Amino acid sequence: MTSALLDARNISKTFPGVKALDDVSLMVHAGEILALVGHNGSGKSTLVKVLAGIYQEDSGTVATPGGSVRRGNRDGLHFIHQDLGLIPTLTTIENIDLGRSLGARAILPSAIRAERKHARALIEQFGADFDVGVLVSKLTPAERTIVAIARALDGWTTSDNVLVLDEPTAALQGAEVGKLFAAVRRVASAGAGIVIISHRLDEVVELADRVVVLRDGRVVGDHPRGEFDRASLVRLIAGQIGDDARELAEAGVPGAVRLGVLGIASPQLRDVDLEVRAGEIVGVTGLRGSGMEQLAGAIFGAVPTEAGRVQVDGLAVRPGSPAHAIKAGMGYVPSDRRRFGAIVSMSAKENLTLPRLASLRGRMGQIDPSAEKAEADRWLDHVGVRPSRAGDRSFGLFSGGNQQKIVIAKWLRNAPRVLLLEEPTQGVDVAAQASIHDLIARIAAGGAAVLVSSTDTKELVTLCHRVLVLHEGRVVSTLAGRELTESALVRATIDSPATPGSGRE
Amino acid sequence: MSEHVDRSGWARARRYLGFRNISAIYIFVVIFAVFAIRIPSTFLASTTWRTLLDNQVITGITAIALIIPLAAGVFNLAIGLQVGAGSMFVAWLLVSHGVSIPAALAVTALSGILIGLISGWLIVKVRIDSFIATLGVSSLLAAFITGISGGEQILGVPDSYANFGVGNFGGITYSFVILMALALIVWYLLERTPSGRRVYATGGNIEAARLAGVNTTKVIFGSLVACGLLAAIAGMLVTARLGNADPTIGPSYLVPAFTAAFLGSTQFRGGRFNVWGTVLSVYVLAAGVKGLQLSGAPVWIPDVFNGASLLVAVGMAKYQGPSGDYYSIRRILRMRVRSVPSLEDGDG
Repeated sequence: MTSALLDARNISKTFPGVKALDDVSLMVHAGEILALVGHNGSGKSTLVKVLAGIYQEDSGTVATPGGSVRRGNRDGLHFIHQDLGLIPTLTTIENIDLGRSLGARAILPSAIRAERKHARALIEQFGADFDVGVLVSKLTPAERTIVAIARALDGWTTSDNVLVLDEPTAALQGAEVGKLFAAVRRVASAGAGIVIISHRLDEVVELADRVVVLRDGRVVGDHPRGEFDRASLVRLIAGQIGDDARELAEAGVPGAVRLGVLGIASPQLRDVDLEVRAGEIVGVTGLRGSGMEQLAGAIFGAVPTEAGRVQVDGLAVRPGSPAHAIKAGMGYVPSDRRRFGAIVSMSAKENLTLPRLASLRGRMGQIDPSAEKAEADRWLDHVGVRPSRAGDRSFGLFSGGNQQKIVIAKWLRNAPRVLLLEEPTQGVDVAAQASIHDLIARIAAGGAAVLVSSTDTKELVTLCHRVLVLHEGRVVSTLAGRELTESALVRATIDSPATPGSGRE
Repeated sequence: MSEHVDRSGWARARRYLGFRNISAIYIFVVIFAVFAIRIPSTFLASTTWRTLLDNQVITGITAIALIIPLAAGVFNLAIGLQVGAGSMFVAWLLVSHGVSIPAALAVTALSGILIGLISGWLIVKVRIDSFIATLGVSSLLAAFITGISGGEQILGVPDSYANFGVGNFGGITYSFVILMALALIVWYLLERTPSGRRVYATGGNIEAARLAGVNTTKVIFGSLVACGLLAAIAGMLVTARLGNADPTIGPSYLVPAFTAAFLGSTQFRGGRFNVWGTVLSVYVLAAGVKGLQLSGAPVWIPDVFNGASLLVAVGMAKYQGPSGDYYSIRRILRMRVRSVPSLEDGDG
C-alpha cells in the first residue's frame, strides 16, 4: 500500500446550509482505474474541485508522492473535464503544442515536422490512428478525448501521475467508447492512476478496477473489481434517501389537459409525447445528454425543433416562436438565468414588464411610469423579492434567489396557462428554494399546467405529481403516486438500459 | 404617492449628481473655467457660442442616429458615409436632375430608409456580423457617392434650399431647432415607449429578449431604418448649410459621432446609450476643441481631443457596470463569489 499516487484523507467541505463532503477518503494506486460514482448532489463535483484545488477543503489532507499538496499546485494530478478544453479551430498538432512552454522559442518559426512527429507518437501511444493535421472539430468525440488525454500526458517525465476524467463518455457512442477505454487502459498499464467519473454503470463495471460510491457527501461503498455489479451499484447510489411520505404535491385533482406535446424532436429529443393537465406539476429528469435539458426549451420554441406539435388548451402553437408561445399562454424560466432568463443590465422592473408592455400604455402610446412602478412593486412583493420596492434596481444586483423570483414573477404577471421551468432552484439558497417551491405549487393550484425540468430528485419528489425520466431523448419511465420516491427516481435515472451502439446513428 | 424623504433620497441625489453620472457636466465646467480665464475675450464672446451651437448640429444628428442601432446592440460603421450619401444624393437630384425640393427631400429620405433596410437584411437575414456588414455597406456607399458625383463637388444648389441652411429665428438657427426636435422625438421613442424598451432589451441580451417575446428581427431592422432616415436628414442639412455637396465629407462624422455616443452612454443613464447624454457630449467635446483652437493650438488638436475622448469614454463605460454606479461591478463580483458553491454544486 505504499504506492498510492493520490491519497486524500478525511476530506470535509461545507457550504452554507449543505455539508457537501463528509469525511471522504480516496486512494488511487499506480496502474489502477478507479471509478467514482454517485448521483447529482452526491458530492462528486465538489470532491473533484477539492482535488483540483478549486475549493479549499475545510479539513483533511490531499497527498501525492511529492508530499502534501498545497492549494492550487497539485503536481501530478491532471484533470480532463467534459468540455475537454481543446480549441476546435486548431489541429491536433497545434492543440498539443499549446500546452508546452516556449520560452525564447516563442518567436521562432514552429518546427512543423518535429511537432507533427511528436503529436503522432503521442496519439499512437493510445492505440489511436488519425490524422494529427486535421482540425480538432473534424475528429470524432472519442478522438477528441484522446487528444485531450495526450495533451495532459505530454511531458510527463515519470509515470507516477493521476489522470482524472470527468464523464468522458457522455458524448460518445458504441465503438467510440471502446476506443477511449483502450486508451485509458494503456495509460493505466504505463503506471499512472486513473479516476473516472461516470453515470454509465455498464461502463464502470467493464472498466474499473475499483469503484467508490458517494451519496450525500459520504463514501457509502468502496469495492474492488469482482465485488460489485450493476445491481449492487444502483442500490448503493440510490440508497433509501428521502423516502418519507410526500406532502406538497398531493393536493387537488388535476383538470383538463392544458399542455399537449406530440412527437417533439430535436437534436437531443426523439419523439417525446406528454400531457400536462390544469393544476398538475409534471417533472422531467434524466442524465446529462438525455434530452432533459432541451425539452422545456423545445416546447417553448427557444430551442429549434425538427418535428412535433405543441398545443395549449387544444390550440396549436407555432413551433420555434417564443413570441407566439407567450401569446398562447406559455411562460418559460430557463436554467441559465444570466444568459437566457433576464437582461442583467436592465432593472428588475424592466425585466418584469418586458413580455407585456401593451397594458401599461398611456394615451400617447408611452409607458406610463407610475403604472409600471406600481405594477412592478405589486408583483415583486407577491413573489417575495427582497428588498421590497426595489424595482428600479439593476437585475444583476439581486441575489440568485431573488433573481429567480423576478423571472418567475415576469411570467406570473401574464397569468400563464402553461409554465415551463428548468432547474428552478439552481444556485438559490435554502430559504429561497422553499419559497420558490411554494410559489410553483400555488401557480399550479391556480389552474396552470406546470412542467419542471430538474436534476434535483428531492425537488422533483416534493414538488411534482408525476415525473418523466428521459434517456437518449425518449421517455423511458414515468413515476407517480407512491412510486415517486427519491431512490426510485435515482434508480430510474441511472438504471436505464445502456445501449451502446444503438440509437444515435 | 407619498415619497418619504429618507437616506435613500439623499443617496439618490448623490448618485444623480455624482461624477460618474454626469461627468461630462463637470468636464464642461472645467473646460469653461480654464478657457474663460485664459482667453476671456474670445471664448466668452456670444458669437463664439452661437456658432458653436450651430456648427455641431450635423455631428449631433449623426450621433443621435447612431445611438439607435447601438442601443439595439448593432454597430453601424456606415454612419459617416450615410450622411455623405444623403448630402450628395439630394444635391444630385436638385442640381443634376432639377427635381423639386419637396420631391428631392422625400426621395433622399427614402434612400436613407433603404440603406437601413439593406444593412438590416445583411445583419439579420444573411447573418453577417454588424461590424463587417456595415463596413461593407460603407464601402458601397463611397462608390455610390463617387459614382453620381464623378468625385467632384456638386455646386449650384437652389438658393431657397441653401437659405434654409443658414436661416434662423432670433439667432437660433433652423438647423439647431431641427437637432433639438429630432433629439426630443428619439428620446421619447427610446425611453418612453414600449418600442424603445424593446430596443434596449435587444441590445442588453438578444437571446433573453427573444425568449421574453421580443421580435428582435423587427427591432434590429427598425433601429437601422430609423438610423438611416436620421442620417439622410443630416445629409440633406449638410447640403443646405454648405450650399453644395462635397464627396469627401461623410467619413469626418464617423469618429465624432461614435465618441459622443459612447461618452453619452456614460452619462445620466448608467451605461445605456441615451439621447441627452449624447447631445451633451457633442457640445462638451466641441467646447473643448473650440477653446483649444481659440488658444492657438495646432490644427491637429481636434482629432487628438476626439480620439482621446472616445478611448476614455469607452474605458470608463467598461468599468462602470450595469447600474451605472461605480461599485456595482465589485458588488456583482462579491455576490457571485458568495453564490459559487450553490451554483456549482448542482451536479455533484
